[in-house]
Amino acid sequence: MTEEQKKSGCGSPASTGARPGAGAVCGSTGSAGGLSAAGAAGASSGSAARQEQASVPAVPVTFVLNDSEVTAFAHGGTRLIDILRGPLGQTGTKEGCGEGECGACTVLVDGLAVNSCLFPAKEAAGRSVTTIEGLKPEGTGLSPIQQAFVDCGAVQCGFCTPGMIISATALLDRTPDPTDREIREALTGNLCRCTGYEQIIEAIREAARGMERPGEESG
Amino acid sequence: MRGFDYLQPHSLDEAFELAEGRDGALYAAGCTDVLVKIKNGAVAPRALISLRRVPGLSGVAETPDGGVRIGALTTISHLLRDGTIRTRYPVLAAAAGRLGSEQIRNAATVGGNICNASPCADTALPLLVLGARVVLRSSGGVREKPLNEFFAEPGRTHLAVGEILEAVLLPPPVQGATGVFFKKGRVRLDLAVASLAALLVVENGVCRYARLAAGSVAPVPLRLTGAEALLEGESLTGKTAAMAALEAMREVSPITDIRASAWYRMRITGVFVKRAFERLYDSSGSDV
Repeated sequence: MTEEQKKSGCGSPASTGARPGAGAVCGSTGSAGGLSAAGAAGASSGSAARQEQASVPAVPVTFVLNDSEVTAFAHGGTRLIDILRGPLGQTGTKEGCGEGECGACTVLVDGLAVNSCLFPAKEAAGRSVTTIEGLKPEGTGLSPIQQAFVDCGAVQCGFCTPGMIISATALLDRTPDPTDREIREALTGNLCRCTGYEQIIEAIREAARGMERPGEESG
Repeated sequence: MRGFDYLQPHSLDEAFELAEGRDGALYAAGCTDVLVKIKNGAVAPRALISLRRVPGLSGVAETPDGGVRIGALTTISHLLRDGTIRTRYPVLAAAAGRLGSEQIRNAATVGGNICNASPCADTALPLLVLGARVVLRSSGGVREKPLNEFFAEPGRTHLAVGEILEAVLLPPPVQGATGVFFKKGRVRLDLAVASLAALLVVENGVCRYARLAAGSVAPVPLRLTGAEALLEGESLTGKTAAMAALEAMREVSPITDIRASAWYRMRITGVFVKRAFERLYDSSGSDV
């Protein structure tokens, strides 16, 4: 890292078009989480950690995001959600609890639903990530699950919705005709404070029914 | 949440090298637990050494002795969907299905679950009753240990500095054994308030083999050896079940915390033991 980058604290070449955003050095030492973490382990190790951090530049992480190859810069503590919402501008993915409880940050990594708040950005390298923005190419309407959420009134404040729809997508990819129990099980990691879940479960049931038909016709 | 390196070695030797002389480094697997701990300030590592890109650490493979070897980096989802685990070690699949959410299971690993050494570790209990051994590797070589001797205290194992849990070995399934797993949480996604895994062989109403392990009721995931000894060779009657439940309640040493009281944890352990008998009686069809 150059002296200039150290001073600015943001070590990503501008030519990539990717802002280091939340994952950059500048976000690290000032965050409450970082300070309290250092305090818990004693001041010496905390300051040492910061010195070492300063010596390690952000590295480019290249992966496929919604069918396009992208590169963003990440530090050790940068999470997948940080680069998605920051430099990559995909703000459909929400951060709720930041601890893997609420599921608002759910994305697909290689087709599997994961909490992007607990997924190190560096682990995305070489993988395929799908967010709510990538379920259907822009301008081509809604996915059957998205449409069912609209039709069934499964959206109120909407904050949990992207995560819910990603979890539902992962479910129906694997289990095209789920039982209600399987739907509920698949949504264990997604919290909604508005709907009471009934409409969400109904929407997924509807989407499964709707998606079944073309398959039956062709089969 | 920032301020640490995230290193991605591509071999165990590279991982050992990275760990050597690097104070405050932690090995990491699925990261679903350690990132929460870092966020909350419970740990402040200077580096996480991710083992995800080390080849050969993930997957379930049958061993020559008829058992299986479960790579430490095998995800909980993989375990849950693996045909061998589901058919030959269903009690482990049952516990895997109760660990966290789909999102957590897709990232979290068996090795991480064990090495966290939480008394509530969901996979630890079935692995204990199945007689698991752990394979520990360091730059100096490899050693094995019964899982029962791996846990030291909450959050601490007997891993030596720099050592890596490479795999978990299961012996061949015990002939005729039936297993159950119970977990009590506030909600489905919750950590266990109390949990129990049981593996029993019942022949003509007599208990020939008993393995019991309880979670969240002691400093480590706990084998209930007293209750096991009391059961083996005994006719399975309601009285035997009650005696075993009582003994299990004596063996545990739960604490009161934000999730539940010590009293409740002790009582529910007894209830689980009795319930295990009811369930196994139903599935074995023998007289209780």
